[in-house]
Amino acid sequence: MSLFEIFVSNMMNIPIIKPLIDYLMGVPVIRFIVALILWRPFFAIAIAPGLGALGLYLLWIVYFERKLTARVQWRVGPLEVCRPIRGLIQALADGIRFFFQEVIVHREAHRPYYVQLPILAFIPVLIPIMFIPAGNVVGIKSDYAIQLIVAFLALISITIVVIGWASNSRFAFVGSVREAFMYFAYEVPFVIAVISMIFLYGSGNPYVAVEKQTIPGVFLNPIAFIVYLIAMLMATSRLPFEIPEADQEIAFGPFVEYSGILFGLVMTLAYEKLYIMALLFTILFLGGWSGPYIWIIGDLSHVLWLLLKTVVTISIIVIVRSIYARYRLDQALKLGWSSMLGLSLVGLVLGVGVGWFV
Amino acid sequence: MIKISKVEPSVSDRIKGHLNAITTAFVQALKPDRITVEYPRERRRYPDNFRGILIFDKDRCVSCFRCAQICPANAIKMEFYDNYYPSVDYAKCIFCHFCVESCPTGALRSSKVHDVAFKSLDDMYIHTNSMMSIPEIVREEEIEVEYEIEDGKLKLRREVVEKLEVDYERRRLILKKELSSLEVPPPIPVRKRAYCKDPESCLGCRICASVCPRNAIKYDRKKRIMSIDIEKCVGCGFCVRHCPMEILDLKVM
Repeated sequence: MSLFEIFVSNMMNIPIIKPLIDYLMGVPVIRFIVALILWRPFFAIAIAPGLGALGLYLLWIVYFERKLTARVQWRVGPLEVCRPIRGLIQALADGIRFFFQEVIVHREAHRPYYVQLPILAFIPVLIPIMFIPAGNVVGIKSDYAIQLIVAFLALISITIVVIGWASNSRFAFVGSVREAFMYFAYEVPFVIAVISMIFLYGSGNPYVAVEKQTIPGVFLNPIAFIVYLIAMLMATSRLPFEIPEADQEIAFGPFVEYSGILFGLVMTLAYEKLYIMALLFTILFLGGWSGPYIWIIGDLSHVLWLLLKTVVTISIIVIVRSIYARYRLDQALKLGWSSMLGLSLVGLVLGVGVGWFV
Repeated sequence: MIKISKVEPSVSDRIKGHLNAITTAFVQALKPDRITVEYPRERRRYPDNFRGILIFDKDRCVSCFRCAQICPANAIKMEFYDNYYPSVDYAKCIFCHFCVESCPTGALRSSKVHDVAFKSLDDMYIHTNSMMSIPEIVREEEIEVEYEIEDGKLKLRREVVEKLEVDYERRRLILKKELSSLEVPPPIPVRKRAYCKDPESCLGCRICASVCPRNAIKYDRKKRIMSIDIEKCVGCGFCVRHCPMEILDLKVM
């Protein structure tokens, strides 16, 4: 079987653009490109819910978070970049500026690691995306997808710690130590919360999890829901737990020395982590891609519902930034190892109990 | 003895506090009470007693030096032309406007201009002849904003300049950029005049006549009496300060 036949055998089914695709499949070279793009695994990783959706989400959330915080704090927020649409393309403009800015590698930095790591840190972000399905659109089907996503998420923290070490600066060291502490604080309750949901559904397979959610997971196990929510805030350095980055004290912590496009890469790490955790959150607690099937866009319907739920979840989460003040490191550790660990264990018992009946 | 102990709110109070914070944030996110003005496209309408750049009226000045003496930042220096007149160093000025308050004749006045840029520190020293009119400013506002207090809450009222219907005069001034009459509030009328409390005790030393900057006090040789010309008097109070018998005073006419 040739490569082209493999692509064609597993193509996206989108009725609305079917005539256009049928026409393009007749054109000699372009049909290979079209077949590749519409090949389900490639589409899942490269377009949605993969890289393309991730890029759009980044542009949206950076603008939205700044604007929302500004509104709550009685400011106006980004406005001057393209005034007619109230600064909507601010994040894009920032990205372009980062791209053309000089990358300064200071003398004390461990040069090879310092330059490589922001790019390497992208790998643990991209690998979990392969396992996140949106209906039929999936990179790799696996019975252990949820466990794999959690495992690869853990790698991001390690890359951040190593980035802090490679920067070889006081603030970066403080930041990476704090990152390591926060990692200890949230990881155990987070993993237990996910395990309780796996027990509840009886499988680590996202398809099984979504199928069993006739009632959304929020109501099946609300305790695991709360633990996951707080762990998500801790893991992505959202404001009540913005301890590793702490702008006011250590000036963006591990990333203090970066500039230019490398800063652009490391700054978005937390947002990318939030995206993946929110996708997993949607699959575990909000019924994943289940939703009214829209016939006209075919397979995209599942993708649309999954992304919609994820983006709405994140958009609600970012308002926490303007409500709560930052915890101290010891308070966050205490919270992680006392109430959250206790709650997650209760959630585990509840998950096993409910799993018995569901 | 008052003992201070740590406050331990009850669980219900804590939940109430959290809910309060979250609802406030959501309400503000949907409909913020913000009072930010998008300067320079919008401009706030400042009150008449706004403390901005100083305007100087040479004809009223009597060179009493009071502005220079009272200035807490030492920003005002007197320069000599045909007489001594003030000049301001805006690098030092703190806009307290003690000089305006202390000026007996209303020669120093405040304008509503506050957005002036200087190219260097030396440019910030404004000589007397440039203090006579407001500095050159570019106004590009399309909307005028007025702050209003309604039910104890500060609110903004926005009006498009071209549609200012109530205030035709104001609209004409903004559109035609005749700013000196718009930005400078009307001069404060001179309120006080010198008068003699006790003419019987006058020594006839004529010090008052010699210190008067406007020659308002005259000595009549034939009748041998002093007289104060109310029309000429500007109420600077030089005579009051110099009178050896302390029988002169200022009063509101």
